[in-house]
Amino acid sequence: MKILNLGKLPGQQSMLGFHALARLGFEGLVIVSPSVPLVSVGYFQDAEKEVDLDYCNRNGIPVMRREIGGGATYLDGNQIFYQVIWNRENKKFPLKIDKIFEFLSEPPCETYREFGIETSFRSANDIITKDGRKIAGEGGGDIGDSMVFVGGILMDFDYETMSKVLKVPDEKFRDKIYKSMEENLTTMKRELGSIPPRDDIVRVLAEKFEKLLGAFETVTLTPETIDKMVELERWLTSPEFMFRKTPKIPKGVKIKEGVEILYGTYKAKGGLIRTAQEVEKSIIKDIGVSGDFTLYPKKELFALEETLKDTERESSKLKSKIEDFYEETGVQTPGVEPEDITKAIEAGK
Amino acid sequence: MQIDQWDFPDELYYNEGHAWARVEGDIVTVGVNDFTQFLAGEISYIDLPMEGDEFEFGERIGTIETGKWLGKYFAPVSGEIVEVNEKLEDDPTLINKSPYGEGWIVKIKMANPDELDKLMKDPEEIKKFIYSEVDRVANK
Repeated sequence: MKILNLGKLPGQQSMLGFHALARLGFEGLVIVSPSVPLVSVGYFQDAEKEVDLDYCNRNGIPVMRREIGGGATYLDGNQIFYQVIWNRENKKFPLKIDKIFEFLSEPPCETYREFGIETSFRSANDIITKDGRKIAGEGGGDIGDSMVFVGGILMDFDYETMSKVLKVPDEKFRDKIYKSMEENLTTMKRELGSIPPRDDIVRVLAEKFEKLLGAFETVTLTPETIDKMVELERWLTSPEFMFRKTPKIPKGVKIKEGVEILYGTYKAKGGLIRTAQEVEKSIIKDIGVSGDFTLYPKKELFALEETLKDTERESSKLKSKIEDFYEETGVQTPGVEPEDITKAIEAGK
Repeated sequence: MQIDQWDFPDELYYNEGHAWARVEGDIVTVGVNDFTQFLAGEISYIDLPMEGDEFEFGERIGTIETGKWLGKYFAPVSGEIVEVNEKLEDDPTLINKSPYGEGWIVKIKMANPDELDKLMKDPEEIKKFIYSEVDRVANK
């Protein structure tokens, strides 16, 4: 197998490399970081619904859709991407998808450990620290006759820009996404207090993959690969591919496995109710309620949100909690009943 | 026919892209086999073609996402899509639950029946092909 250390490449090129190499039958490991930020959306995502394209345009952040699963991600120079490419017939690799993730997550886990961060693989399909925070997201796919597995070492992460590039139904919720990411996603910098030199991380990462997959032959980018990247760039960034509708669009934002931000709306007699919920294992960890309905006294809206925290997302439990809140506080919401707020929460997806 | 834990109904044709084909006149119902749905795990999304789309023998029809992995499924025969299983848009896990029943994916009006000769029908041939891959599942 080969190793191609691409260093830092501008914009989409950090993602175009593996799309091209997989089609050309390359087998090995690619290590790369973007030299300038970009946003990448998963194949089954709708870029218009997932990403604030105006914000990205205004700030010169390119957006591309990838031929890999998973959700929207913000990529920048503080991430080191490992991209493993192999022919499906290569018997070194498992065939079962969950086993592929487990097998190829070991080298990045060992890399983090080498720098003093205890990590493990968790299905499906993140690398987490011992206190359960995500420290690498991974994805994969069949491209050409090859199989491709990608993931990223997080040296540092720009939580603020990530929360800005995502499209949210209401600005009020952007802060919730930011806080949820900050709580559930960690980095080398946060774990260690500083970032080890990039070259050291790359060296260790390559060694750990080599231990798993066998000795690598070092290669460089060929003119053939560059031509293929140029050809693919046109296709992967074309409106035809970028905005192609897929039948089922995931609406929630997954922060890490088991934690999701869900958005719900419900039209009650008294107006539209919107909710944004951070949900972990069916429990509401945080919630924002807004809309064009009337609630007075206004200060009780915050109290309602606080009341709903740590409640199970189950109809009768939600309704009973909201009814108790109405009774205890005497809050008035003309044309909006506790059942309507329950429905706006249940509508979250 | 049972191959280890996986079911391979005798009346169907199979290809090396792990599709199955049920032939009724010139209409071929297509899905993915039990072994493949096992390898893939729970399917989250499927990309379905449109009725009227035409595919060549072995061409990719669409994609399937499972646990952040994007897989593909291929046409076992050439022809035109005459029906699409729209139930899969709401519940793609029907492919996991019932790969040969409710989890069928498309129906193709076959352009060239001779292509069926290129598919696997003989139980020994199917066993040999599947066992070559089962070994890799068992080892890892």
